[in-house]
Amino acid sequence: MSTIVEKLRQYSKPGYYDKFDYHWTMTIDLDRCTGCEACVVACQAENNLPIVGEERFAENREIKWIRIERYWEGEYPDIKMGFIPMLCQQCDDAPCETACPVYATYHNQDGLNTQIYNRCIGTRTCAVYCPYEVRYFNWFTYTWDEPLEQQLNPDVTVREKGVMEKCTFCIQRIRIAKDNAKDDNRRRVRDGEVVPACVQSCPTEALVFGNSNDPEAKVSKMMKSPRGYKVLEELHTTPSIVYLTKVQS
Amino acid sequence: MFDHGQPSYADVNKDIISTMLETGPKYWTLLGITVSVAGICFFMPWFYQLIVGVGAAGMNRNAVWGSYLSNFIFWIGLSHSGTLLSAVLHITNSPWRKAIYRSAEAMTLFSLMTAAMFVMVHLGRVWFVHWSFPIPNQMGLWPNFRSPLMFDVMAITTYLTASSIFIYMGSVPDFAAVRDASTGLRRRLYTIFSFGWRGTAREWHTLGWAYTFFAVFVIPLAVSVHSIVSWDFALSAVPGFHHTIFAPYFVTGAIYSGTAGIVTVMYCLRKFLNFERYIGQVHLDSLGKLLITLSLIWTYINILELFSTWYGGTSFELEALSFKLTGFYAPLYWEMLLFCAFVPLLMLFKKIRWSWNKMLVISILINIGMLTERFIIVATSQPRKFLPGAFGYYVPSWIEFSITVGSFAIFATLFLIFIKWVPAISLYEVKETLRPLRRDA
Amino acid sequence: MAIMGTFAFEEDFLAAAKNLTSSGFDNISLLSPLPLEEAQEVLGLGKSPVRHYSLAGAIFGAISGFAMAVATSLVFILPTGGRAIITIPPFLIITYEMTILFGVLFTLVGFHFISGLPAWSDRPYLSSASVDKFVVVVEGADGEQAARAETIIRDAGADEVRHVEDGQ
Repeated sequence: MSTIVEKLRQYSKPGYYDKFDYHWTMTIDLDRCTGCEACVVACQAENNLPIVGEERFAENREIKWIRIERYWEGEYPDIKMGFIPMLCQQCDDAPCETACPVYATYHNQDGLNTQIYNRCIGTRTCAVYCPYEVRYFNWFTYTWDEPLEQQLNPDVTVREKGVMEKCTFCIQRIRIAKDNAKDDNRRRVRDGEVVPACVQSCPTEALVFGNSNDPEAKVSKMMKSPRGYKVLEELHTTPSIVYLTKVQS
Repeated sequence: MFDHGQPSYADVNKDIISTMLETGPKYWTLLGITVSVAGICFFMPWFYQLIVGVGAAGMNRNAVWGSYLSNFIFWIGLSHSGTLLSAVLHITNSPWRKAIYRSAEAMTLFSLMTAAMFVMVHLGRVWFVHWSFPIPNQMGLWPNFRSPLMFDVMAITTYLTASSIFIYMGSVPDFAAVRDASTGLRRRLYTIFSFGWRGTAREWHTLGWAYTFFAVFVIPLAVSVHSIVSWDFALSAVPGFHHTIFAPYFVTGAIYSGTAGIVTVMYCLRKFLNFERYIGQVHLDSLGKLLITLSLIWTYINILELFSTWYGGTSFELEALSFKLTGFYAPLYWEMLLFCAFVPLLMLFKKIRWSWNKMLVISILINIGMLTERFIIVATSQPRKFLPGAFGYYVPSWIEFSITVGSFAIFATLFLIFIKWVPAISLYEVKETLRPLRRDA
Repeated sequence: MAIMGTFAFEEDFLAAAKNLTSSGFDNISLLSPLPLEEAQEVLGLGKSPVRHYSLAGAIFGAISGFAMAVATSLVFILPTGGRAIITIPPFLIITYEMTILFGVLFTLVGFHFISGLPAWSDRPYLSSASVDKFVVVVEGADGEQAARAETIIRDAGADEVRHVEDGQ
């Protein structure tokens, strides 16, 4: 009886899952970002993102789990360009999660905002509720021309029409790393053992990924930088991605 | 109450039941047209969309919700007049309700069904729609009751159930009258429909009490349904959706467009079923006054919404506001204000309020305005969310236009079937408004 | 054996009903094409017990609605949006809707129990009772009592009196 009461008390407390083993976090150093879009391509290859074609792209229906948003400041000729890579912020208080009527998106024990393709019925509410607009809908069932289907990643599902998808922090790689750690009888994954495709491909190392529950991890140190900020923090979505602002001279 | 002299009880039965039993070629032509329009404009494009994917519609990354959802709100709104108005007027004992409530309730039921169709059309994988119902299953998976869409599922199924029961129970004595007036198969069917109703004092008494309780349950239900529909939007952080005024705004808008819908339906019933005797100036006048009141409330809330957005002054909200007032869809916004805020003021004049033709035009204009109102809410807020990098716009595709047209045909089909199966005017409640026959008279 | 008296006028019908009840006939049915409050008063029908069904349904719906929301969210612990697992405000909306749903359904059941409908077996009935005739039916009266009932009905001004066999 007392355990039931204890459990009920625990479950009626918001955010009780803070204290799990991992809290996957990414830092993006905008001072290092050159806007080369290597991360976009790497993500496309790793996660079986469909090639929508020119026509669909013009209709604004491209699928890019990570995209480089480009902003111009000032008027020509005194003009500056800024980049911001935008991907799923894996918010702790994610607006998209509460919106789903069928639990197709929820928060898992690693602090990840997961998307279950098989459960999705395509109400698209999550995409409306997302302030970062990083959820992408499969408007059609896309196919891969030969021989492109040969490069599909066998670890990642190919999505069909009517399903929402978004950045998973390369959950398949996290999964493999955790399995390896378990095989080696380690309780935790070592820092740097999990590298998402975008982080792996970044030539300037602008992207850093790791477990922020581990104070020794590189990402935890980067997060403490005075340049750090979170996008649209005032909406209280508590994102897991920390941006490091550009050094202004 | 009656423009053309008081009918006798027998006249009431004859006039109203004959519209069900006598079916002319005009009816079959009309039914044929609506069924084929529904098939060609609604179901065929929808099946195409099912095969291809929702991409057949015009929605894109910047506006993942489109006209399907705005039409859904429109039809839910249209459903709000009938049962809600009927229940409120029943509780407050308004005599002018009695001639119009049956068809108003039918309107509720059929617009709810049409709205439900739009949910199906909207969904990306409609073949899994049953996952959003709390059905026990072998996987132990349940829907997420924290989701505003789940509130919607619960509210709309409850509303559909409650309003079907409401209209059915109100019709039971009339089914008995039809049973007594018909022969053969129809008689057998209506014997079943009427539960063997005899009209004893005990039956009337129980029905009266039960009916009042249905009305009492339905009023808060109807208010909650459209509040919940508004929370689909208001519970997000999207500028343009995130207003606390949304629940009363939607409820008012719903009753407003629904009442205008009643005027349109009343006009058609009068015209095609020859109900001039039962639906008269009193009803038109009362509905006109109600429409003016609702239009003023609606306009006030609209102004309030603009004001609070401007007064709040956050850059996101201001951007969404300026897109709404001056952007791509600004002409639609101003059209909506013209049709829903200014045109209804004409009804202040008795001459206009008392003319069936003018009221028909006004009521249709109001509903066009309300259709665009819902579209504007959906289509102007999403493309102006937070990140300027994701700004865009959305234009409906021909499939969406076609399905919108088809939805009206579905509604008309259901209504045409209804008038042949259920007395479109409540027999016994009309009799209640007649002076009882006296020996000395 | 049942006696059926048909009336064209509401007032005669009510007078007959009053006289019958005051003479001790308690198994009478008053058929009318529209609800008559006076007829219900004659039979002494006050507050209908249907309201108990409504209340019971509403309470049942409220409890089961909240219980369903809580129980189903405990089957699998799926945290969403940093909210608690047992999230009270949204569950209250579910409770609200279920209150109304079961309130309506129980009222419907109550209506059927109390009114005795559906009853498709043949009962004493005249089809004109759904148009413009008021009918008094006295059931379970035999011999002398039947004759007495018939006199009362005729005195009140009935157009027609019929004797119907039971189970017909």
